[in-house]
Amino acid sequence: MAPSALVVGDIYFEDAKWQALSPAVTLKEYRKGTRAEFISLLKSGIFDDVEAIFRSNESTTVTGPFSEEIISILPPTVKWLCHSGAGYDNIDVEACTQRGIQVSNTPNCNEGAVADLTIYLMIGALRRITAPNNALRAGKWRGHIVPGHDPKDKILGILGMGGIGKEVAKRAKAFGMKIIYNNRHPLPASIATSLSAHFVSFEELISTSDVISLHLALTPSTERILGAAEFEKMKTGVTIVNTARGDLIDEEAMIRALEKGKVWSLGLDVFDNEPRVDERFLGSERVVVCPHIGAATVETMAAMERLVIENIKSALFNGKLLTQVHEQISQS
Amino acid sequence: MSNASSSDPSPGAASPASSLETVKPAVLLIGGITHVKKEWEECSSFAELKTFTGETREEFLKSCGDGSYSDVVAIYRSNESTSLTGPFDAELVSKLPPSLKYICHNGAGYDNIDVAACTSRDIQVSHTPRAVNAATADIAIFLLLGALRRIHIPYAAIRASKWRGPSPQLGYDPQKKVLGIIGMGGIGREVAARARAFGMTIQYYNRSRLSADLEQGAKYVSFEELIKTSDVISLNCSLTKETTGLIGKKEFAAMKKGVIIVNTARGKLIDEQALVDALEEGKVFSAGLDVYEEEPKVNQGLLDNPNVVLLPHIGTSTWETQRDMELLVLENLESAVRKGGLVTRVPEQQSMNAVKN
Repeated sequence: MAPSALVVGDIYFEDAKWQALSPAVTLKEYRKGTRAEFISLLKSGIFDDVEAIFRSNESTTVTGPFSEEIISILPPTVKWLCHSGAGYDNIDVEACTQRGIQVSNTPNCNEGAVADLTIYLMIGALRRITAPNNALRAGKWRGHIVPGHDPKDKILGILGMGGIGKEVAKRAKAFGMKIIYNNRHPLPASIATSLSAHFVSFEELISTSDVISLHLALTPSTERILGAAEFEKMKTGVTIVNTARGDLIDEEAMIRALEKGKVWSLGLDVFDNEPRVDERFLGSERVVVCPHIGAATVETMAAMERLVIENIKSALFNGKLLTQVHEQISQS
Repeated sequence: MSNASSSDPSPGAASPASSLETVKPAVLLIGGITHVKKEWEECSSFAELKTFTGETREEFLKSCGDGSYSDVVAIYRSNESTSLTGPFDAELVSKLPPSLKYICHNGAGYDNIDVAACTSRDIQVSHTPRAVNAATADIAIFLLLGALRRIHIPYAAIRASKWRGPSPQLGYDPQKKVLGIIGMGGIGREVAARARAFGMTIQYYNRSRLSADLEQGAKYVSFEELIKTSDVISLNCSLTKETTGLIGKKEFAAMKKGVIIVNTARGKLIDEQALVDALEEGKVFSAGLDVYEEEPKVNQGLLDNPNVVLLPHIGTSTWETQRDMELLVLENLESAVRKGGLVTRVPEQQSMNAVKN
């Protein structure tokens, strides 16, 4: 009998590839709806033979996070949870592990797109672009503008030199920036040299960078990695760019540092209470904001969807995920 | 600024007691200096400093006529001077004092100066090319990325406390797209260098082909081919009679559907209404614009279009770049007064006699 798979949330670009899994796979779906309805359907038993779940990128807006509440009532047949997205803090991996559910994410699909948006926000923040941008749209031409700063010859401190951090370094170098980084491990010499990136301690990065850009995964050890003490140590006039996760930064401390003038400007794609955004960010002309759209490109979304489908095939027919989350790899 | 005349060893040099010492040529500042006020004051070592304190073209022409500037040999023409005196057109140039030999303009673009009129009066004109290259290229890339994402839509939504808004859309990656650069001078080449780091393929059109060293792998194509085959078109050429209206209805019709237009050069390079129409037809996916046909007026069809990214001509608006530009104007001014030649003369005048750069 064909195994069953369930898609939660919508598939935008590679739906044909999903449909093509049939008839080898029996396809079920929950593309639109609410958390309450999803929970009641899980309890009703209609998904009871599902072995693999395609959790789409926007599924959190449909069902909310896959917290313990949901994980605990997934059908006992579920063995594989394949998430479309690099970040998966909206999945309780620990709860999955306890139930024997293996989780995959989609690394290596969004590096370019997130790095692109990082550079966009960095230039925008260095230029304090919000003021002229808003003035023009309001029909006031430049309004009252303050000159910005050039990236050229500035020190860019990259926190977290994984796939995205490296792509940011590659781009920033073309703008004439000097790159320093901190990471759990220094890069192999050949890669560091090609990126002209120098490994420094966390302390040194915080205290010497003109621009600090975060490219870390959110874990208990990175949560609020930038707080009041760290802002205190930064150069006056620093620019902060965050396209990773809002919870990496203590937002209150960041707002105080902005108001005190310690921080010159911010470029933010992520917030700690998404989709709610602190009014003080929205009200400031020194802040460039985007609503978590780092990976929101056609090419990235299509690549992630393809990788989810590859994970599902591999799981159902070879008993193994291709890109399992690292928490589960290190313990197996 | 160094005082080179103090080391002049020629026997004919005036002694400190000579009355010649007091006769310094005058230089005239039009508009403000923001970042190099001290350096400007120091120019008093080789020139008498004058400042146009009026606010209108009439006042300026009056001062030119009444002999106030009869000893002025060089003008520092600031960024804001056009808003005070209006353009240096043939009329104004004809009324400049006969003593005037040099106009040192702050800005890479100088379409508000009638260079031909200056040349026929033997007035040399300088601009500030290389100083603006990096900052202008930065804004071109900013607009390119923003336009690929149609970023004004999510940007406006979040600022209105609506997060992504009612119907979030996806943007496009620059990677593997073909960027066509029109005008491969200093700015165009800086745009190319940055775009390469985003994985774009570069082709360009220019009056003449660059050396391989400057091309860095960019493909030289005809204007027609560039228009037809580029995914993104960036304008980085200067505005001249020949380039006015370079991109119009016919050119938009020849472009790929879904093309993106980036303009950080001059608004008049594009027929703005034709752009508005091409955007509305969906021929052009988005545009990233820093310049407009009738600045500071912006076509309402652009202002009302959420698909475009618009900035108010701020390409070079950074502390570092503005300082570099002002320093380059002073460098030209000093060279003009002391050596009788400019450092960065406009290309149309390259054939005029002058000292070596």
